[in-house]
This record gives sequence, C-alpha cells and structure tokens, in this order.
Amino acid sequence: MSYFRITILKGFEFRKKDTLIHKLDPRAKAVYVIVMSIIVLMFTTPIPSLIILLSSFIIVVLAKTVKEWISTMKGIILLSVFIFVVNYLIAPVDKLNYAVSMTLRLITLTSIFSIFFLTTSPEDFSLALLKLGMPYEYTLIFTMALRFIPTLARDLQMIVDAQRSRGLELERGGAIQRIKKFLPILIPLIIYEIKRSFMVAEALEARAFGAVESRTYFYEIKMSSLDWIFSISLVILLILVIFSYITGTLPGWLFWKIPA
Amino acid sequence: MRLAIEVEDLHFYYVKGEYVLRGINFEIKEGESVVIMGSNGAGKTTLIKHFNGLLKPIKGHVRVFGKDTRNHTVAELSRLVGIVFQNPDHQLFAETVEKEIRFALENFNFPSNEIDKRVDKILRYFGLERYKSASPFNLSEGEKKRLAIASVLVYEPDIVVLDEPTIGQDAIQRKRIINVLKELIKSGKTVVAVTHDVEFAVELFERAIVLSRGLLVADGSVKEVLTNQKVLEVANLLPSQVTKCAWLLEDFGIPRDIVSIEELKEHIYKVLRG
Repeated sequence: MSYFRITILKGFEFRKKDTLIHKLDPRAKAVYVIVMSIIVLMFTTPIPSLIILLSSFIIVVLAKTVKEWISTMKGIILLSVFIFVVNYLIAPVDKLNYAVSMTLRLITLTSIFSIFFLTTSPEDFSLALLKLGMPYEYTLIFTMALRFIPTLARDLQMIVDAQRSRGLELERGGAIQRIKKFLPILIPLIIYEIKRSFMVAEALEARAFGAVESRTYFYEIKMSSLDWIFSISLVILLILVIFSYITGTLPGWLFWKIPA
Repeated sequence: MRLAIEVEDLHFYYVKGEYVLRGINFEIKEGESVVIMGSNGAGKTTLIKHFNGLLKPIKGHVRVFGKDTRNHTVAELSRLVGIVFQNPDHQLFAETVEKEIRFALENFNFPSNEIDKRVDKILRYFGLERYKSASPFNLSEGEKKRLAIASVLVYEPDIVVLDEPTIGQDAIQRKRIINVLKELIKSGKTVVAVTHDVEFAVELFERAIVLSRGLLVADGSVKEVLTNQKVLEVANLLPSQVTKCAWLLEDFGIPRDIVSIEELKEHIYKVLRG
C-alpha cells in the first residue's frame, strides 16, 4: 500500500549542515561539477570514472550527506540497468568494457551532480545564477519552484487521501478507466495550486516585489581564498589531463579495458 | 453494544524512527460521540487516517467493527467510516454540486434510483438544493464545507469522522454544522471529530480524547477532561467560556467541572438565592 504515499520528492528537500563542503561557494562547486564531468566524458574506460566516483564519495562523506546520497543513487538503479543492457547490445567490440564504462559514467555523473544539489541551498544557487548575470525574476522562479515541490507533494497527498476516503479506488480497473480515475485528483490539485500561486503573487506584491529596478540582497555570496584555491586547482587539473591526453603522456593503466 | 473502533498500542511514523503516534489505546463504542483534541502536531489527523486504513499501523492494531484495517482496503473501510477532511478544496472536483455528491455513491456501487433519491434528500437537508447544477467552485466557503460534509454523509457510513469541521466558519455556518451533527448523534451514529474548538466540543460531544506529542494524555467525559486545567494546558487549549466563568466564581462555592450553561445558571441561582 506504500504505493500511495508520496515520498519520492523527499530528495529535493535541502537540509543545511555545517560542513566545509556546504560552505564552499556555489560557483566553486559548479567548477568542480564542470571539470569532473569533462574528464569523465573524455574516457571510455572504467578506471578514470571509478577514480572520480571514489573521490566524489569522499566529498559526500565530508559533507555528511551519505544517507541522502544513497537514496539519490538508489533512484538511478533502473536507469543504470537500462544503460548497461543497451550499451552491451549496441557496442560492436569490447562489449563488456563499453557497457560497464557507460554505466559507470552515468553513476559518476549522478554522484557529482548530487554533491552540488545536496550541499547547495536553492537560495545560494540562485544567488550564484544572479552573479552570473541572470535577471532576478528568473532566479526567483527557480527558487520558488524548488521551494514548492514539498508543498505540492503534501497537497497531492491530502487530495489522494480525501478521494480514497470517498471510495475512489486507483488500483482497480483497466487502463482507460484508471486514467479517468485520476481526474478527481488532478482537478482539485490544479485548481488549488492556481489559487495558491495567486496567493503567493499577492504576498510578493504586498512586500513590494519589483518596486525598484535594482535591488540589494540580505545574503551575499563571496568567493573566499579557499574557493579560489579549490577552483584554480581544479582548472589546472583539467588542463593537465587534457594536455597529457592530447600528447599521449597519460599512464597506460587509465586506459585499461575489461577483457571480453 | 458493538465496538465501532478499537485502537490497540498504535505506533506510527512517516519518517523512520520519528514516531508521530507512540502507543495509543482506546475503544469507541457504537453510538458514542467523541472529540479528539490536542495541540498542533499532536498526531490527531494521523490518528483518524488510521480509521479507514489510509495509514496502516507500524506497530499495534486498529479495528473497525472487528475488522483489522491491515487486512482491508481503504474502499472497504471507507464504506463503514466516512472521513470529512478539513479543506473542501482538497476534494471538490466535479462540474456540478449534484455530481460531487454522486461521486461516493457511484464508487460504492449504489443502484441508480437509490442514488437519485439520496442526492435529492441530502441536498435538501443541507440547504443546497438550489445549487444542484451549479459548479462547486462557485459556492461560498461555508457552502463548500457543507457540500464536503454532505458528499460523505450521503452514503450513510456507520461511523462519521470530521477533521476540524468548524474551522474558518462564521457563526451561522457553524450553527448549521452543529445542528447537522446534533441530529446525527441523536440518530445513533458514531461521530468522531478532531477539533481545537472547545465550545464546539462541549456543546455536542460526550467524550473527549486528548493527544499530546503522539501520546494519549486524557480520555473521559467532556465534562471531566475539558475542565481539567492540566489537560487543557498540555493540549494548548483554553477552557470554554462557561468553564472559565465557573472557575472565576469558585470562591462562591461553584464547582470547577461545569461545561453546560444550564448547570452554571443553576449554581449561580443557588448562590444568589442564598
């Protein structure tokens, strides 16, 4: 029966923790995500992905988000299996090596991105977007969308509960009947959320949203010297890897393939 | 008399380890009228969601007329236990008021001539007959609330459970809801309500159950529970006006456990007559 309890959106709920990783500037973390993604995508052998995956796990441990990380990774199990099977079938040679590498790629990229989202509050993220030149109205849309995901999940749960209490059986009937049965859930949800968005808009206007052209911010983000060191060393690492890749001076074991 | 609801050592959490209900025990007999009170977050709504199996106990048992909720679907249990949730906006969806009321009857496979009969009867009973073909979304808040209650009462469940039925209602709408529930209780239905409204509780109900942080802290007659200062404090409630008045007049020999205005009047008369 747990099918009807909406827990899938739990992962989006950011929780603030006092760790070094949480304190890093979101831009520095973005550099990490970009650099590591490029390196992962450069190789079609498993070792480089594996190294980055392990290093990302160390960061996860440092950020004390192992539990959240595991639930994120659980979410891609099905997709991983799918990627593995498809790549195994379409690869012309070195089937096993290719399938394993591609699956590891997905897992590693997910891990890297999850570090960013598990340790960066939506507010910090939109502040970073602002610093990169995005207009405030758009970053606010992003922040609010994230902010309202748990609210939406709660509303949905209450509507499902109310309609099931009036005898709605979502688990019964054929395909078409089942789709029809979602109407008593979708209609109140849509109407309620439209109502809610008007309320939010009014609350924003009541607090003078958009009253002045240029606004100031209560919280500011700043690149500390640690952020700079972190970012610059990552960029140097990337340049080194690309340079040695082109000149062919990377150690051979990085290109080790799983024997067929 | 049959047992309507049995709650035995009920434990429940949403997030593993964070218990919302921590071992609740009580029984409700058929025909009883019970209010469940407690501060916000005490676990009241979580508790009533167990009555029709929307939530299943993590530990312990909930039985409805002897049926363990674990072994029955929500639809089967809802036929016996009608729950009216707090916010009508969470359930109104149909194009017309009539269709909204038909919804539960159709889900429970009532014959169509029976459906028509019941719809007309309940609309008249709730004073909603002129809105029969109006959209539920055009009704006033009070009418929406009555419609939500009507849409559950129409299939005549043996047990009626209401979550905060009087919240956000003006005096007239409130009186209307109270009258409907009064009739319901008189007719022998088992009625359970979750509420913060002490005046509403003392006016209608026989028995009060008070929850605090997932534990049952008081269970007894309304007169006994809702005049107990300690219990009221734990539940973040104020005494009813009648009770407060009795407390203020304590020095004149008026007892503290008074909830009905008639009783208070008698005692005051006694004092005045000397």
